[in-house]
Amino acid sequence: MADFWTRLELLPLAAHIGETWWFPLLESLHVLTAMFVVGSIVFVDLRLLGLSAMRYPARRFMHELIRWTWASFAVATVTGLGMFLTRASWYVSNPAFQAKLLLLALAGANMAIFQWLGQRDIERWDTAASTSTAARIAGAASIICWIGVTLAGRWTGHLS
Amino acid sequence: MSEGFRELARWVAGSAAHDVAVDWLRNVPGLPPIVQTLHLVSIAVVLGSIVVFNLRVLRLIVPSQDPGEMSRRLAPWTWGALPVLLASGSIFVLARPHRYFLNPMFGIKLSALVAACVLAATGYALAGRGETESLRARGVALAGLLAWIVTILAGRWIAYVDYLFPPE
Repeated sequence: MADFWTRLELLPLAAHIGETWWFPLLESLHVLTAMFVVGSIVFVDLRLLGLSAMRYPARRFMHELIRWTWASFAVATVTGLGMFLTRASWYVSNPAFQAKLLLLALAGANMAIFQWLGQRDIERWDTAASTSTAARIAGAASIICWIGVTLAGRWTGHLS
Repeated sequence: MSEGFRELARWVAGSAAHDVAVDWLRNVPGLPPIVQTLHLVSIAVVLGSIVVFNLRVLRLIVPSQDPGEMSRRLAPWTWGALPVLLASGSIFVLARPHRYFLNPMFGIKLSALVAACVLAATGYALAGRGETESLRARGVALAGLLAWIVTILAGRWIAYVDYLFPPE
């Protein structure tokens, strides 16, 4: 496996990214799109917490915003992978980067669980003055996970 | 112009605030990434508030949301994020004034930020008066959107300024 990560670093594309202005370009686009992911999700979470935008049906509010979140997430992933290639074996052994991947997985699991279980009774609270307990838990967990992803992502660059 | 900035950087470097910022960043464990994360999460709030609002006025996003209501709901988030951005950013500027005040990218970032703030105030005010469909409102939204994107990208490029402005 260690061999695999090293081989990624030796790809011509990886060398090109690492040695040219491609790296700062990818990194700045990563910051922009990843923070759009967090920013759009936070406002969905506030709706799930019943704290904001209650005049809009929850399902519609989430659906309209989250397609932009996904598009942004796709760009953040591609730009992130581009940076990852340049020092793949360093990233995989970096504890902050490992924490970031774990927190991303937790954020994804939280979203999936909410999709399957938390939304089952959405008819009951879609337009109600407050949301369900499950929705509030999912919203709070999501905010915590995404701030954690941001912190671990930023911390990754501080470890040598 | 650049002599003025050099003077400013020297003045900051000689101030007590500079010593405090350097001391904190060096000696409080984990402080740099934590303060940077505060900065980043505030950027996320800007993107989720004024940038989404601008995209809505441009009719690209959240069609069922009312721009007038959005302006009242989102403006406090945008203006609330600003002081956090200024405070979290200032620690690094105080600690290394020459890195920032002599950096053309930092000048671009601050200029774009000022424009973005003026355009945000204008866009929210227009929406508060019910004006969100006019050519003027859309022009302000488009210019504001671009100003925020330039601010954020230029911020990251401060560290890579040599690629664009090779040192003499």
